[in-house]
Amino acid sequence: MKQAIELIINGETHDLFVASNVTLVEAIRDNVGLLGTKVGCDMGTCGACTVLLEGKPILSCITLAVECNGKEITTIEGVSDGVTLSNLQEAFVRKGGVQCGFCTPGMILSGTALLKKNSKPKVDEVAKALEGNLCRCTGYNRIIDAVLDASVSTSHLQDQGEK
Amino acid sequence: MGELKLVGKSLLRIDGPDKTTGKAKYTADRKLPGMLVGGILRSPHPHAKILNINTEKAEKLLGVKAIISGSDTRGVKHGFVETPRYPPDQNILADDVVRHVGEEIVAVAATNYKVLNDALNLIEVTYEVLPAVFDVAEAMHPDCKVQIHPNHPKVKDDFCNIAGKTETQWGDIEEGFKQADLICVDRFESHLRTHGYLEPQTAIADYGGDGTLHMWISSMGHFVKRKKLASTLGMPEGSIQIHKAYVGGAFGGKIDLFSHEYCAAALSIKTGRPVKFVATREEIFTAYRHGQPLISEIKTGVKKDGTIVAQQLRMINNAGAYKGSGVVVIFLAWGFVMLPYRVKNFKYEGYSIFTNNPPRAPLRGHGAPQVRFALESHMDIIAEKLKMDPIALRLKNARIPGEELPNGDNVHNCGLQACIQKAVSKTDFSKRRHCFPNTEKISAHRPIKHGIGLGVSSYFGGSLIYPNSSSAIVKMNDDGSVDLLTGAIELGQGSETVLCQIVGEELQLELEDIRIISSDTATTPQDIGAWISGMTYVTGNAVREAAGGVREKILQVAAEQLNERVENLKLENKSVLVAADPAQRISYRDVFNASIANSRGDTIIGKGHWRTMRDEPFHPSLATTKGRWSENYAFSVQVAEVAVDTETGEIKLLKATTVHDCGFPINPQLVKGQIDGQVSLALGHAFMEDVMMKNGYTLNPTWLDYRMPLIHNVADSKEVDVITESYQVGRSFRTKEVGEGLVSAILAAIANAIYDATGLRMYTTPFSPEKVLKGLKLLDENKGLR
Ligand code: FES
Ligand code: FES
Repeated sequence: MKQAIELIINGETHDLFVASNVTLVEAIRDNVGLLGTKVGCDMGTCGACTVLLEGKPILSCITLAVECNGKEITTIEGVSDGVTLSNLQEAFVRKGGVQCGFCTPGMILSGTALLKKNSKPKVDEVAKALEGNLCRCTGYNRIIDAVLDASVSTSHLQDQGEK
Repeated sequence: MGELKLVGKSLLRIDGPDKTTGKAKYTADRKLPGMLVGGILRSPHPHAKILNINTEKAEKLLGVKAIISGSDTRGVKHGFVETPRYPPDQNILADDVVRHVGEEIVAVAATNYKVLNDALNLIEVTYEVLPAVFDVAEAMHPDCKVQIHPNHPKVKDDFCNIAGKTETQWGDIEEGFKQADLICVDRFESHLRTHGYLEPQTAIADYGGDGTLHMWISSMGHFVKRKKLASTLGMPEGSIQIHKAYVGGAFGGKIDLFSHEYCAAALSIKTGRPVKFVATREEIFTAYRHGQPLISEIKTGVKKDGTIVAQQLRMINNAGAYKGSGVVVIFLAWGFVMLPYRVKNFKYEGYSIFTNNPPRAPLRGHGAPQVRFALESHMDIIAEKLKMDPIALRLKNARIPGEELPNGDNVHNCGLQACIQKAVSKTDFSKRRHCFPNTEKISAHRPIKHGIGLGVSSYFGGSLIYPNSSSAIVKMNDDGSVDLLTGAIELGQGSETVLCQIVGEELQLELEDIRIISSDTATTPQDIGAWISGMTYVTGNAVREAAGGVREKILQVAAEQLNERVENLKLENKSVLVAADPAQRISYRDVFNASIANSRGDTIIGKGHWRTMRDEPFHPSLATTKGRWSENYAFSVQVAEVAVDTETGEIKLLKATTVHDCGFPINPQLVKGQIDGQVSLALGHAFMEDVMMKNGYTLNPTWLDYRMPLIHNVADSKEVDVITESYQVGRSFRTKEVGEGLVSAILAAIANAIYDATGLRMYTTPFSPEKVLKGLKLLDENKGLR
């Protein structure tokens, strides 16, 4: 059975008419056409499909689109304007946290959610936040570095802003 | 030598912004109008005769657009190796027999996944189940009742199911053993591991109205894929265009031709519509490729002073149901044995044995981790028996610069001795290692024991296999920027960045002034691909030559315009200037225009090509190892520091120090990234990962059950670069392998560190908690007996 739903993706409203078994990642990739969200396993085991639902990281391959009706979703395309990178995106590039890039969108969303609620995370907090995201290329060392580094520059900016 | 501007610098990856913003396009991100989805019906049996295939019911389903089975193919076989000795042996879709679980039988194209899955369920295949064999010892036993394929016609040994054999020897092995003061015999076994690339196997085919078959494939080498597609489809290579897409990791697992790639093409040709195949993760775990489990039997004779005087080896590989890369790994295993140490008298036999398991593919290191784990453990065992320092034993036998290898290759500026010395000093190895560990340590009631261990490895950088060489084109634009056209494929290693650095150095351009057009078989020249460990060297030199062609042309035109000799000119900031009088200059833009005006319209284009061992006609013999293998060998030493929890059996790799001779790093940060990734892969293979198979079925076909390292399983990874080569503008360079060999010595180092910590010698991988606990218990009991 199909259902009319409204998804607010990266601040834009999308009216969709989807079957109740359509997953959020299918809705994002196939119906809306945002292709930055990746599918590595389609069974909730790798984190490549991570998006933010109301600011919280979720696995969009095991979330139904109809469950997200009326909710705010952030995908990788919504993390920055795509020209000026966010601190975290920039840190991933600078620190070498990217290789093949297939895990990267999911990593960045998990990391973005962490930095939002905890601007100066410790290593184990970074690990906890990213534990659902598999990366086969980097060995994770540089990904941890990138998140820590972004947190320094983010909190630095925030400190400046507060002054 | 002038100061280098781009090469040798840790410039940021040029694909970084696209990959962090979600703009980077992978194969599955290609959406074409009217695209169908494809799927494959696979064998549920490890060995069976196909009696009948009935697709009638499936064909009647609304939304099913085409169905093909073996009889619809041209019957042309394919294989990882296609040589006269090892002709291709795999069907695209099964003929009358299936030989492993997951073997491809029927392919369907449908309008959506629901219809596709219904159709696959409606296809009826009747089988006569045949007896099967999975264990390599059973399969090769002369009395084995299961014959999967006839024995290799040229191998006369009294074994069964022989897919292939590699044999070689030199010196006088008998005499060598006679000279030995000590003979040491060991047997090691490594287990089944898999690639774990994040991006699933994916292919899209679009046989458009233009007579060209357009394809997007998650692959490691578009030109070799195209070659195999052309031969199986019966199309000229030039009618197939494989387009560029980023690749989400491969690690060796995406180089073979896969049935789904052919089926996407065949179904698109049949339906006139684009067809997409994406393998499910479960399919990848059960029906695609894994690595190579290897048994190593080693006998070594040494003199009291540690000189190795004789070494005899037998390696046995469980190849699975088709030759796959199994017949190559027994050749490579010989190479990984003979590279690091000098052995005067040597004999080697490698067997590849058919079993009813899925066929195997290369997996990062392609045999080197298995071989070096065995050999370096063996070296430590010998050292202990000789009461000799294991470092001294290695230094005694390690290759030195300029040494000729038994196959006629040369190690050139080999940095092995330097690597060993640096590894020891950097880690304070000798002081921290307990000289002659024994089981006494077990009795101390401290549950966590620390140990340190070391391993040595070497890896080839580029060999001869289709297409044997890389070419490249660099062309200038009006504004003085350039386009680089290269077939090199970006799968995470950073090829695009490295190649642009080389162009930038040769032409004194910034990375922003270079646009790269890559891995498109129609618009870029042939390339060896990212699977023979020679891209930076082979493609890099081709690119350097192409840029060099542009540089020469620029200088020549500028010389005419400035009325100066070429030797007096230099390139700087998109201009050519007179070195002694920098005010006299001409911009690249003006050079470009002058070239068109004065050289009969010659726009500035450079082309280059490179082939390793350019005078060698073929790759070396897989049967006899004769012939040259590579002109470039990288050497490495890795040190592992581990903590063993003697109560739970769990081991942590605390620190991995990699000392390597990669020639010189074009981009040190990318090199470091490769090292971290390889240490992580080795860590997974050592402690966590194990493809569990029973009767040909994969028991753990998900990432929940096949445990790859998570962010909690990170080792501190340190790197020391031993630089043995240099880069000069206008001259060929020799970079050495760095992308896969460094999974090897670290595995051995971990095993040796476990021994150092506990006295427990690991003869098999993985070093799982159960195995460690059992081993420790046995050590304790034996001690009690004494
Ligand atoms: S694709 Fe969703 S967790 Fe792997
Ligand atoms: S960068 Fe390839 S999986 Fe993480």
